[in-house]
Amino acid sequence: MTCMDDGSLRAHLDGELSGSEVAEMNQHLAACADCRVHFEKLCAETSRTGDLLKTMAPVADFSTISPTTAYALFRSQVRSSDQPDTLWIRRLFAASWRPAWGLAAAAVVVAILVGVSPVRTWAQRVLTMLRVQKISVVTIDPGALMSNGGPNSRPSKLIDQFFSDSVVVTMKPGEPDVASSVAQAAELAGYPIQTLGSLGAPQSIEVNGESAFQMTIDRDRVETLLEEVGRSDINIPESANGALIAVRVPKIVRSRYGDCSTTNCVYLIQAPSPTVSVPPDLNMAEIAEAALELAGMNSAEAHSFCQTVDWTSTLVIPIPSNSGSYQTVSVDGVEGTLITETRAQQSRYSLLWVKNGMIDSLTGQGSSSDALALAASLQ
Amino acid sequence: MGMGESSSEHWDEADFRAVFLEQYARIVGILVRLLGDRSHAEEVANDAFWRLYRQPALQIDGNVGGWVYRTATNLGIDALRAANRRHQHEATAGRLAEESTAAGPLDGLLREEKCWRVRAVLTAIKPAQAQLLILRTSGLSYKELAEALDVKVSGMGTMLNRAEAEFRKRYLALYRNEEEL
Repeated sequence: MTCMDDGSLRAHLDGELSGSEVAEMNQHLAACADCRVHFEKLCAETSRTGDLLKTMAPVADFSTISPTTAYALFRSQVRSSDQPDTLWIRRLFAASWRPAWGLAAAAVVVAILVGVSPVRTWAQRVLTMLRVQKISVVTIDPGALMSNGGPNSRPSKLIDQFFSDSVVVTMKPGEPDVASSVAQAAELAGYPIQTLGSLGAPQSIEVNGESAFQMTIDRDRVETLLEEVGRSDINIPESANGALIAVRVPKIVRSRYGDCSTTNCVYLIQAPSPTVSVPPDLNMAEIAEAALELAGMNSAEAHSFCQTVDWTSTLVIPIPSNSGSYQTVSVDGVEGTLITETRAQQSRYSLLWVKNGMIDSLTGQGSSSDALALAASLQ
Repeated sequence: MGMGESSSEHWDEADFRAVFLEQYARIVGILVRLLGDRSHAEEVANDAFWRLYRQPALQIDGNVGGWVYRTATNLGIDALRAANRRHQHEATAGRLAEESTAAGPLDGLLREEKCWRVRAVLTAIKPAQAQLLILRTSGLSYKELAEALDVKVSGMGTMLNRAEAEFRKRYLALYRNEEEL
Protein backbone atom coordinates (compact mmCIF):
# COMPACT_ATOMS: atom_id res chain seq x y z
CA MET A 1 0.00 0.00 0.00
CA THR A 2 1.42 3.37 -1.02
CA CYS A 3 1.19 6.07 1.64
CA MET A 4 -0.62 9.33 0.99
CA ASP A 5 1.60 12.32 0.34
CA ASP A 6 1.67 15.30 2.71
CA GLY A 7 -0.10 17.54 0.23
CA SER A 8 -3.09 15.22 -0.04
CA LEU A 9 -3.26 14.80 3.72
CA ARG A 10 -3.24 18.55 4.07
CA ALA A 11 -5.97 18.99 1.45
CA HIS A 12 -8.03 16.41 3.38
CA LEU A 13 -7.47 18.33 6.61
CA ASP A 14 -8.54 21.56 4.90
CA GLY A 15 -11.68 19.94 3.45
CA GLU A 16 -10.46 20.52 -0.08
CA LEU A 17 -10.77 16.97 -1.43
CA SER A 18 -13.68 15.93 -3.64
CA GLY A 19 -16.29 13.41 -2.44
CA SER A 20 -14.62 10.40 -4.02
CA GLU A 21 -11.18 11.52 -2.85
CA VAL A 22 -12.47 11.87 0.70
CA ALA A 23 -13.87 8.35 0.62
CA GLU A 24 -10.58 7.01 -0.73
CA MET A 25 -8.62 8.94 1.91
CA ASN A 26 -10.79 7.72 4.78
CA GLN A 27 -10.46 4.17 3.58
CA HIS A 28 -6.70 4.54 3.40
CA LEU A 29 -6.38 6.17 6.83
CA ALA A 30 -8.47 3.38 8.36
CA ALA A 31 -6.04 0.83 6.98
CA CYS A 32 -2.67 2.64 7.26
CA ALA A 33 -1.31 3.34 10.76
CA ASP A 34 1.67 5.32 9.43
CA CYS A 35 -0.57 7.74 7.55
CA ARG A 36 -2.86 8.09 10.58
CA VAL A 37 0.07 9.09 12.76
CA HIS A 38 1.31 11.43 10.08
CA PHE A 39 -2.12 12.97 9.66
CA GLU A 40 -2.54 13.54 13.39
CA LYS A 41 0.86 15.22 13.58
CA LEU A 42 -0.07 17.43 10.64
CA CYS A 43 -3.38 18.33 12.31
CA ALA A 44 -1.62 19.34 15.52
CA GLU A 45 1.03 21.44 13.75
CA THR A 46 -1.46 23.14 11.49
CA SER A 47 -3.74 23.92 14.39
CA ARG A 48 -0.95 25.54 16.45
CA THR A 49 0.29 27.58 13.52
CA GLY A 50 -3.27 28.50 12.58
CA ASP A 51 -3.95 29.75 16.11
CA LEU A 52 -0.96 32.05 15.89
CA LEU A 53 -1.89 33.36 12.47
CA LYS A 54 -5.45 33.93 13.65
CA THR A 55 -4.24 36.38 16.30
CA MET A 56 -4.10 38.82 13.38
CA ALA A 57 -7.87 38.68 13.04
CA PRO A 58 -9.15 42.22 13.35
CA VAL A 59 -10.90 43.09 16.59
CA ALA A 60 -12.80 45.96 15.01
CA ASP A 61 -16.20 45.62 13.43
CA PHE A 62 -15.93 45.63 9.68
CA SER A 63 -19.55 46.13 8.91
CA THR A 64 -18.73 49.76 8.19
CA ILE A 65 -16.51 49.03 5.18
CA SER A 66 -18.40 50.54 2.30
CA PRO A 67 -17.13 49.50 -1.13
CA THR A 68 -19.57 51.94 -2.72
CA THR A 69 -18.15 54.90 -0.84
CA ALA A 70 -14.61 53.68 -1.43
CA TYR A 71 -15.36 53.39 -5.13
CA ALA A 72 -16.80 56.91 -5.26
CA LEU A 73 -13.62 58.24 -3.67
CA PHE A 74 -11.53 56.17 -6.03
CA ARG A 75 -13.38 57.58 -9.03
CA SER A 76 -12.84 61.09 -7.82
CA GLN A 77 -9.13 60.35 -7.55
CA VAL A 78 -9.14 58.91 -11.06
CA ARG A 79 -10.80 62.05 -12.35
CA SER A 80 -8.27 64.25 -10.65
CA SER A 81 -5.23 62.12 -11.40
CA ASP A 82 -4.84 63.81 -14.74
CA GLN A 83 -5.26 67.13 -13.03
CA PRO A 84 -2.44 67.51 -10.56
CA ASP A 85 -3.52 70.99 -9.64
CA THR A 86 -6.66 69.83 -7.86
CA LEU A 87 -5.39 66.75 -6.19
CA TRP A 88 -3.96 68.81 -3.39
CA ILE A 89 -7.35 69.85 -2.14
CA ARG A 90 -8.52 66.28 -1.67
CA ARG A 91 -5.22 65.26 -0.20
CA LEU A 92 -5.17 68.25 2.07
CA PHE A 93 -8.31 67.16 3.84
CA ALA A 94 -8.32 63.48 2.97
CA ALA A 95 -10.09 61.24 5.44
CA SER A 96 -7.08 59.07 5.29
CA TRP A 97 -4.66 61.09 7.36
CA ARG A 98 -1.41 59.44 6.48
CA PRO A 99 -0.61 60.78 3.02
CA ALA A 100 -1.91 64.20 3.79
CA TRP A 101 -1.19 65.62 7.18
CA GLY A 102 1.30 62.89 7.86
CA LEU A 103 3.52 64.41 5.29
CA ALA A 104 2.71 67.85 6.51
CA ALA A 105 4.30 66.80 9.73
CA ALA A 106 7.53 66.98 7.99
CA ALA A 107 6.63 70.29 6.63
CA VAL A 108 10.01 71.79 6.70
CA VAL A 109 11.92 69.06 5.04
CA VAL A 110 9.01 68.83 3.03
CA ALA A 111 9.27 72.18 1.69
CA ILE A 112 12.65 71.05 0.52
CA LEU A 113 11.16 68.09 -1.22
CA VAL A 114 8.04 69.72 -2.45
CA GLY A 115 8.74 69.39 -6.11
CA VAL A 116 9.77 65.80 -6.16
CA SER A 117 6.30 64.42 -6.25
CA PRO A 118 4.37 67.07 -8.04
CA VAL A 119 1.03 65.36 -8.11
CA ARG A 120 0.93 64.67 -4.42
CA THR A 121 0.47 66.81 -1.38
CA TRP A 122 1.77 70.01 -2.78
CA ALA A 123 0.13 72.26 -0.32
CA GLN A 124 0.94 70.31 2.78
CA ARG A 125 4.54 70.18 1.92
CA VAL A 126 4.85 73.91 2.01
CA LEU A 127 2.70 74.19 5.09
CA THR A 128 5.60 75.13 7.27
CA MET A 129 3.78 77.92 8.98
CA LEU A 130 2.89 78.22 12.56
CA ARG A 131 -0.78 78.88 11.94
CA VAL A 132 -2.55 79.56 8.69
CA GLN A 133 -4.06 83.00 8.45
CA LYS A 134 -4.03 83.54 4.73
CA ILE A 135 -3.60 81.71 1.48
CA SER A 136 -1.36 82.52 -1.41
CA VAL A 137 -1.03 80.80 -4.76
CA VAL A 138 2.11 80.36 -6.79
CA THR A 139 2.37 78.71 -10.19
CA ILE A 140 5.16 76.26 -10.70
CA ASP A 141 6.29 74.05 -13.54
CA PRO A 142 6.44 70.42 -12.44
CA GLY A 143 7.46 69.36 -15.94
CA ALA A 144 10.77 71.10 -15.44
CA LEU A 145 11.45 69.00 -12.43
CA MET A 146 10.94 65.49 -13.59
CA SER A 147 8.85 63.82 -16.20
CA ASN A 148 8.05 60.75 -14.18
CA GLY A 149 6.79 62.05 -10.88
CA GLY A 150 3.84 59.74 -10.30
CA PRO A 151 3.22 58.07 -6.98
CA ASN A 152 5.01 54.94 -8.12
CA SER A 153 8.17 56.62 -9.35
CA ARG A 154 11.41 55.94 -7.55
CA PRO A 155 11.70 59.43 -6.05
CA SER A 156 8.18 59.20 -4.66
CA LYS A 157 8.95 55.84 -3.15
CA LEU A 158 12.19 57.16 -1.67
CA ILE A 159 10.30 60.01 -0.11
CA ASP A 160 7.55 57.77 1.22
CA GLN A 161 10.20 55.55 2.76
CA PHE A 162 11.90 58.59 4.20
CA PHE A 163 8.69 59.70 5.87
CA SER A 164 7.71 56.26 7.06
CA ASP A 165 11.11 56.01 8.75
CA SER A 166 11.19 59.53 10.14
CA VAL A 167 7.69 60.51 11.16
CA VAL A 168 6.56 59.57 14.65
CA VAL A 169 2.83 59.60 15.22
CA THR A 170 2.05 61.05 18.60
CA MET A 171 -1.73 61.10 18.26
CA LYS A 172 -3.83 58.99 15.91
CA PRO A 173 -7.11 60.36 14.63
CA GLY A 174 -8.88 56.99 14.79
CA GLU A 175 -11.94 56.27 12.71
CA PRO A 176 -14.00 59.31 11.75
CA ASP A 177 -17.25 59.83 13.67
CA VAL A 178 -20.34 59.97 11.52
CA ALA A 179 -22.65 62.71 12.74
CA SER A 180 -26.39 62.39 12.25
CA SER A 181 -26.96 66.14 12.22
CA VAL A 182 -25.14 69.41 11.91
CA ALA A 183 -25.72 70.07 15.60
CA GLN A 184 -24.18 66.75 16.54
CA ALA A 185 -21.23 67.39 14.21
CA ALA A 186 -20.63 70.75 15.87
CA GLU A 187 -20.74 69.09 19.27
CA LEU A 188 -18.28 66.40 18.18
CA ALA A 189 -15.95 68.90 16.53
CA GLY A 190 -16.12 71.49 19.28
CA TYR A 191 -16.69 74.37 16.88
CA PRO A 192 -19.66 75.68 14.85
CA ILE A 193 -20.28 74.03 11.48
CA GLN A 194 -21.37 75.96 8.42
CA THR A 195 -23.78 74.56 5.87
CA LEU A 196 -24.73 75.32 2.27
CA GLY A 197 -28.26 76.67 2.63
CA SER A 198 -29.13 76.29 -1.05
CA LEU A 199 -28.47 72.52 -0.99
CA GLY A 200 -30.51 71.63 2.08
CA ALA A 201 -29.15 69.24 4.67
CA PRO A 202 -25.83 67.48 3.97
CA GLN A 203 -26.05 63.84 2.87
CA SER A 204 -23.33 62.87 5.30
CA ILE A 205 -21.11 64.57 7.86
CA GLU A 206 -17.90 63.03 9.11
CA VAL A 207 -15.78 64.35 11.94
CA ASN A 208 -12.17 63.26 11.75
CA GLY A 209 -10.32 63.06 15.05
CA GLU A 210 -7.33 65.12 16.08
CA SER A 211 -3.93 63.88 15.07
CA ALA A 212 -0.36 64.87 15.75
CA PHE A 213 3.02 63.97 14.31
CA GLN A 214 6.59 64.96 14.74
CA MET A 215 9.93 64.39 13.14
CA THR A 216 13.50 65.46 13.44
CA ILE A 217 15.28 66.57 10.31
CA ASP A 218 18.46 64.80 9.34
CA ARG A 219 20.14 67.14 6.89
CA ASP A 220 22.52 64.48 5.59
CA ARG A 221 19.66 62.19 4.74
CA VAL A 222 17.72 64.94 2.99
CA GLU A 223 20.78 65.82 0.96
CA THR A 224 21.24 62.18 0.02
CA LEU A 225 17.64 62.11 -1.14
CA LEU A 226 18.15 65.25 -3.19
CA GLU A 227 21.19 63.67 -4.82
CA GLU A 228 19.13 60.62 -5.68
CA VAL A 229 16.55 62.75 -7.41
CA GLY A 230 19.25 64.66 -9.25
CA ARG A 231 18.91 67.96 -7.40
CA SER A 232 22.10 68.16 -5.39
CA ASP A 233 22.34 71.78 -6.53
CA ILE A 234 19.69 72.75 -3.98
CA ASN A 235 21.07 73.90 -0.66
CA ILE A 236 19.55 72.86 2.61
CA PRO A 237 20.04 75.54 5.24
CA GLU A 238 22.23 74.62 8.18
CA SER A 239 19.46 75.71 10.50
CA ALA A 240 17.30 72.80 9.36
CA ASN A 241 19.61 70.10 10.66
CA GLY A 242 18.35 68.48 13.84
CA ALA A 243 15.24 70.65 13.88
CA LEU A 244 12.24 69.07 15.58
CA ILE A 245 9.03 69.76 13.71
CA ALA A 246 5.76 69.01 15.46
CA VAL A 247 2.37 69.26 13.79
CA ARG A 248 -1.01 69.09 15.46
CA VAL A 249 -4.04 68.76 13.24
CA PRO A 250 -7.37 69.61 14.92
CA LYS A 251 -10.64 67.85 14.16
CA ILE A 252 -11.76 68.13 10.54
CA VAL A 253 -15.42 68.17 9.48
CA ARG A 254 -16.35 66.93 6.00
CA SER A 255 -19.92 67.56 4.88
CA ARG A 256 -21.03 65.92 1.66
CA TYR A 257 -23.96 67.17 -0.40
CA GLY A 258 -25.26 64.81 -3.09
CA ASP A 259 -24.32 61.21 -3.89
CA CYS A 260 -20.87 61.08 -5.50
CA SER A 261 -21.43 57.65 -7.02
CA THR A 262 -24.40 58.71 -9.10
CA THR A 263 -24.63 62.47 -9.34
CA ASN A 264 -22.56 65.56 -8.91
CA CYS A 265 -21.58 66.04 -5.30
CA VAL A 266 -20.10 68.90 -3.33
CA TYR A 267 -17.81 68.73 -0.33
CA LEU A 268 -17.64 71.45 2.28
CA ILE A 269 -14.65 70.86 4.52
CA GLN A 270 -13.92 72.86 7.64
CA ALA A 271 -11.04 72.69 10.05
CA PRO A 272 -9.24 74.97 12.42
CA SER A 273 -5.76 75.70 11.17
CA PRO A 274 -3.23 73.03 12.02
CA THR A 275 -0.41 74.24 14.23
CA VAL A 276 3.15 73.59 13.28
CA SER A 277 5.91 74.03 15.81
CA VAL A 278 9.33 74.70 14.43
CA PRO A 279 12.53 75.89 16.11
CA PRO A 280 12.64 79.70 16.22
CA ASP A 281 15.98 79.85 14.43
CA LEU A 282 14.79 77.86 11.45
CA ASN A 283 14.98 80.00 8.34
CA MET A 284 11.66 79.29 6.71
CA ALA A 285 12.18 81.54 3.71
CA GLU A 286 15.39 79.74 2.75
CA ILE A 287 13.72 76.38 2.95
CA ALA A 288 10.70 77.54 1.00
CA GLU A 289 13.02 78.93 -1.63
CA ALA A 290 14.71 75.55 -1.99
CA ALA A 291 11.31 73.91 -2.24
CA LEU A 292 10.08 76.20 -4.96
CA GLU A 293 13.30 75.75 -6.90
CA LEU A 294 12.79 72.04 -6.68
CA ALA A 295 9.25 72.54 -7.90
CA GLY A 296 10.54 74.10 -11.07
CA MET A 297 10.92 77.83 -10.32
CA ASN A 298 14.17 79.41 -11.22
CA SER A 299 16.27 80.63 -8.37
CA ALA A 300 15.57 84.34 -8.93
CA GLU A 301 11.80 83.84 -9.11
CA ALA A 302 11.80 81.69 -6.01
CA HIS A 303 13.84 84.26 -4.11
CA SER A 304 11.60 87.07 -5.22
CA PHE A 305 8.39 85.21 -4.33
CA CYS A 306 9.68 84.22 -0.92
CA GLN A 307 10.34 87.84 -0.04
CA THR A 308 6.64 88.59 -0.49
CA VAL A 309 5.29 85.90 1.80
CA ASP A 310 5.07 85.73 5.56
CA TRP A 311 5.98 82.09 5.95
CA THR A 312 4.74 81.89 9.50
CA SER A 313 1.11 82.50 8.61
CA THR A 314 0.57 81.74 4.93
CA LEU A 315 -0.50 78.50 3.33
CA VAL A 316 1.13 78.52 -0.06
CA ILE A 317 -0.56 76.46 -2.72
CA PRO A 318 1.58 75.67 -5.71
CA ILE A 319 -0.40 75.13 -8.91
CA PRO A 320 1.23 73.60 -11.96
CA SER A 321 1.31 76.24 -14.67
CA ASN A 322 0.01 73.92 -17.37
CA SER A 323 -3.46 73.46 -15.97
CA GLY A 324 -6.14 75.32 -14.15
CA SER A 325 -6.42 78.95 -13.27
CA TYR A 326 -7.04 80.82 -10.07
CA GLN A 327 -8.54 84.08 -8.97
CA THR A 328 -9.08 85.99 -5.79
CA VAL A 329 -12.74 86.23 -4.84
CA SER A 330 -14.83 87.44 -1.95
CA VAL A 331 -16.35 84.66 0.13
CA ASP A 332 -18.04 84.73 3.52
CA GLY A 333 -16.82 88.28 4.03
CA VAL A 334 -13.15 87.50 3.48
CA GLU A 335 -10.76 87.02 0.58
CA GLY A 336 -10.77 83.53 -0.90
CA THR A 337 -8.93 81.69 -3.65
CA LEU A 338 -10.95 80.03 -6.38
CA ILE A 339 -9.17 77.47 -8.52
CA THR A 340 -10.94 76.22 -11.61
CA GLU A 341 -10.11 73.90 -14.42
CA THR A 342 -11.81 72.20 -17.32
CA ARG A 343 -11.04 68.75 -18.52
CA ALA A 344 -12.96 66.42 -20.78
CA GLN A 345 -15.61 69.15 -21.06
CA GLN A 346 -16.12 69.07 -17.33
CA SER A 347 -15.34 72.01 -15.08
CA ARG A 348 -14.26 71.61 -11.50
CA TYR A 349 -13.72 74.18 -8.81
CA SER A 350 -11.96 74.37 -5.48
CA LEU A 351 -12.69 77.38 -3.34
CA LEU A 352 -10.51 77.91 -0.29
CA TRP A 353 -10.62 80.60 2.37
CA VAL A 354 -9.51 81.29 5.91
CA LYS A 355 -11.74 83.03 8.43
CA ASN A 356 -11.29 83.39 12.16
CA GLY A 357 -8.58 80.74 12.26
CA MET A 358 -10.67 78.22 10.32
CA ILE A 359 -9.69 76.85 6.91
CA ASP A 360 -12.71 76.15 4.72
CA SER A 361 -12.90 74.56 1.33
CA LEU A 362 -15.66 73.90 -1.13
CA THR A 363 -15.07 71.53 -4.02
CA GLY A 364 -17.31 70.20 -6.74
CA GLN A 365 -18.09 70.05 -10.42
CA GLY A 366 -19.19 73.18 -12.17
CA SER A 367 -18.04 76.66 -13.04
CA SER A 368 -16.63 79.41 -10.88
CA SER A 369 -20.07 81.02 -10.75
CA ASP A 370 -21.54 77.75 -9.40
CA ALA A 371 -18.93 77.82 -6.66
CA LEU A 372 -19.65 81.43 -5.79
CA ALA A 373 -23.42 80.87 -5.80
CA LEU A 374 -23.04 77.98 -3.36
CA ALA A 375 -20.64 79.95 -1.21
CA ALA A 376 -23.16 82.79 -1.06
CA SER A 377 -25.62 80.42 0.58
CA LEU A 378 -23.23 79.58 3.45
CA GLN A 379 -24.95 79.76 6.79
CA MET B 1 -16.35 40.15 -16.94
CA GLY B 2 -17.62 41.06 -20.33
CA MET B 3 -20.26 43.53 -19.20
CA GLY B 4 -18.98 46.31 -21.36
CA GLU B 5 -16.71 47.02 -24.22
CA SER B 6 -13.27 45.49 -23.69
CA SER B 7 -10.13 47.31 -24.62
CA SER B 8 -6.48 46.88 -23.78
CA GLU B 9 -6.08 50.64 -23.42
CA HIS B 10 -8.86 51.65 -21.05
CA TRP B 11 -11.02 49.90 -18.54
CA ASP B 12 -14.67 49.64 -19.23
CA GLU B 13 -16.02 51.58 -16.27
CA ALA B 14 -18.81 49.13 -15.47
CA ASP B 15 -16.34 46.24 -15.48
CA PHE B 16 -13.90 48.04 -13.25
CA ARG B 17 -16.64 49.10 -10.86
CA ALA B 18 -17.88 45.51 -10.63
CA VAL B 19 -14.40 44.25 -9.77
CA PHE B 20 -13.90 47.01 -7.23
CA LEU B 21 -17.23 46.46 -5.47
CA GLU B 22 -16.79 42.70 -5.46
CA GLN B 23 -13.27 42.64 -4.07
CA TYR B 24 -12.78 45.80 -2.02
CA ALA B 25 -14.14 44.73 1.37
CA ARG B 26 -12.35 41.40 1.31
CA ILE B 27 -9.06 43.00 0.26
CA VAL B 28 -9.35 45.57 3.06
CA GLY B 29 -10.13 42.75 5.51
CA ILE B 30 -6.97 40.87 4.50
CA LEU B 31 -4.87 44.01 4.74
CA VAL B 32 -6.24 44.91 8.16
CA ARG B 33 -5.10 41.51 9.39
CA LEU B 34 -1.72 42.11 7.92
CA LEU B 35 -1.25 45.73 8.97
CA GLY B 36 -3.43 45.99 12.07
CA ASP B 37 -4.69 49.42 11.04
CA ARG B 38 -7.87 50.14 9.14
CA SER B 39 -6.87 53.43 7.53
CA HIS B 40 -3.50 52.05 6.48
CA ALA B 41 -5.23 48.98 5.04
CA GLU B 42 -7.60 51.14 3.01
CA GLU B 43 -4.70 53.16 1.64
CA VAL B 44 -2.89 50.03 0.51
CA ALA B 45 -6.11 48.60 -0.97
CA ASN B 46 -6.61 51.85 -2.82
CA ASP B 47 -3.06 51.64 -4.17
CA ALA B 48 -3.70 48.08 -5.38
CA PHE B 49 -6.82 49.18 -7.26
CA TRP B 50 -4.88 52.07 -8.74
CA ARG B 51 -2.40 49.62 -10.12
CA LEU B 52 -5.21 47.49 -11.48
CA TYR B 53 -6.70 50.56 -13.09
CA ARG B 54 -3.44 51.10 -14.91
CA GLN B 55 -3.52 47.53 -16.26
CA PRO B 56 -6.57 47.62 -18.53
CA ALA B 57 -5.18 44.73 -20.58
CA LEU B 58 -6.11 42.44 -17.69
CA GLN B 59 -9.81 42.85 -18.46
CA ILE B 60 -9.46 40.96 -21.73
CA ASP B 61 -8.04 37.66 -20.62
CA GLY B 62 -6.46 38.32 -17.26
CA ASN B 63 -7.31 36.77 -13.94
CA VAL B 64 -8.38 40.09 -12.46
CA GLY B 65 -9.45 38.94 -9.00
CA GLY B 66 -6.27 36.93 -8.52
CA TRP B 67 -4.16 39.83 -9.73
CA VAL B 68 -5.71 42.17 -7.16
CA TYR B 69 -5.17 39.72 -4.30
CA ARG B 70 -1.57 39.15 -5.33
CA THR B 71 -0.83 42.85 -5.76
CA ALA B 72 -2.59 43.91 -2.57
CA THR B 73 -0.81 41.34 -0.44
CA ASN B 74 2.54 42.22 -2.03
CA LEU B 75 1.96 45.88 -1.25
CA GLY B 76 0.71 44.92 2.21
CA ILE B 77 3.86 42.96 2.99
CA ASP B 78 5.99 45.90 1.82
CA ALA B 79 3.96 48.23 4.00
CA LEU B 80 4.24 45.81 6.90
CA ARG B 81 8.01 46.03 6.77
CA ALA B 82 7.81 49.79 7.27
CA ALA B 83 5.06 49.40 9.87
CA ASN B 84 7.20 46.92 11.82
CA ARG B 85 9.90 49.54 12.02
CA ARG B 86 7.42 52.14 13.23
CA HIS B 87 6.03 49.67 15.72
CA GLN B 88 9.34 49.78 17.53
CA HIS B 89 8.81 53.47 18.20
CA GLU B 90 5.15 53.83 18.88
CA ALA B 91 3.66 53.57 22.31
CA THR B 92 1.69 50.36 22.60
CA ALA B 93 -0.64 52.05 25.04
CA GLY B 94 -1.90 54.37 22.36
CA ARG B 95 -3.00 51.52 20.16
CA LEU B 96 -4.49 49.61 23.02
CA ALA B 97 -6.68 52.51 23.89
CA GLU B 98 -8.18 52.21 20.42
CA GLU B 99 -8.30 48.49 20.08
CA SER B 100 -8.70 47.10 23.56
CA THR B 101 -10.93 44.07 23.70
CA ALA B 102 -13.67 43.11 26.09
CA ALA B 103 -11.22 40.65 27.61
CA GLY B 104 -9.41 43.48 29.36
CA PRO B 105 -6.28 45.51 28.87
CA LEU B 106 -3.75 42.83 29.82
CA ASP B 107 -5.19 40.29 27.41
CA GLY B 108 -5.29 43.00 24.81
CA LEU B 109 -1.64 43.82 25.38
CA LEU B 110 -0.54 40.20 25.09
CA ARG B 111 -2.65 39.64 22.02
CA GLU B 112 -1.27 42.80 20.45
CA GLU B 113 2.31 41.77 21.11
CA LYS B 114 1.69 38.31 19.69
CA CYS B 115 0.16 39.89 16.61
CA TRP B 116 3.28 41.90 15.99
CA ARG B 117 5.44 38.83 16.40
CA VAL B 118 3.38 37.03 13.79
CA ARG B 119 3.68 40.03 11.50
CA ALA B 120 7.43 40.25 12.06
CA VAL B 121 7.79 36.58 11.09
CA LEU B 122 5.66 37.10 7.98
CA THR B 123 8.11 39.76 6.82
CA ALA B 124 11.03 37.43 7.52
CA ILE B 125 9.89 34.50 5.36
CA LYS B 126 9.66 34.44 1.56
CA PRO B 127 7.02 36.92 0.36
CA ALA B 128 5.24 34.22 -1.67
CA GLN B 129 4.93 32.05 1.44
CA ALA B 130 3.76 35.01 3.53
CA GLN B 131 1.14 35.79 0.87
CA LEU B 132 -0.08 32.21 0.91
CA LEU B 133 -0.43 32.17 4.69
CA ILE B 134 -2.18 35.50 4.98
CA LEU B 135 -4.61 34.69 2.18
CA ARG B 136 -5.39 31.25 3.56
CA THR B 137 -5.87 32.67 7.06
CA SER B 138 -8.25 35.20 5.53
CA GLY B 139 -10.40 32.32 4.31
CA LEU B 140 -9.48 31.86 0.64
CA SER B 141 -10.16 28.38 -0.75
CA TYR B 142 -7.48 26.37 -2.56
CA LYS B 143 -9.02 27.38 -5.87
CA GLU B 144 -8.98 31.06 -4.93
CA LEU B 145 -5.43 30.77 -3.64
CA ALA B 146 -4.32 29.12 -6.88
CA GLU B 147 -5.86 31.97 -8.87
CA ALA B 148 -4.37 34.63 -6.66
CA LEU B 149 -0.88 33.18 -6.69
CA ASP B 150 -1.00 31.85 -10.23
CA VAL B 151 -0.14 28.28 -9.24
CA LYS B 152 -1.84 24.89 -9.65
CA VAL B 153 -4.54 23.83 -7.21
CA SER B 154 -3.06 20.34 -7.03
CA GLY B 155 0.11 21.56 -5.33
CA MET B 156 -1.63 23.77 -2.78
CA GLY B 157 -1.56 21.37 0.17
CA THR B 158 2.17 20.87 -0.20
CA MET B 159 2.78 24.60 -0.57
CA LEU B 160 0.80 25.34 2.57
CA ASN B 161 2.69 22.69 4.54
CA ARG B 162 6.00 24.16 3.43
CA ALA B 163 4.98 27.75 4.13
CA GLU B 164 3.77 26.84 7.63
CA ALA B 165 6.91 24.83 8.34
CA GLU B 166 9.00 27.84 7.37
CA PHE B 167 6.80 30.12 9.48
CA ARG B 168 7.20 27.84 12.53
CA LYS B 169 10.95 27.61 12.03
CA ARG B 170 11.34 31.42 11.89
CA TYR B 171 8.95 32.00 14.72
CA LEU B 172 10.83 29.64 17.00
CA ALA B 173 14.16 31.12 15.95
CA LEU B 174 12.95 34.58 16.93
CA TYR B 175 10.75 33.86 19.92
CA ARG B 176 11.75 30.46 21.29
CA ASN B 177 12.03 31.86 24.81
CA GLU B 178 8.66 33.54 24.82
CA GLU B 179 6.43 30.99 23.17
CA GLU B 180 5.58 27.37 22.88
CA LEU B 181 4.75 26.39 19.35
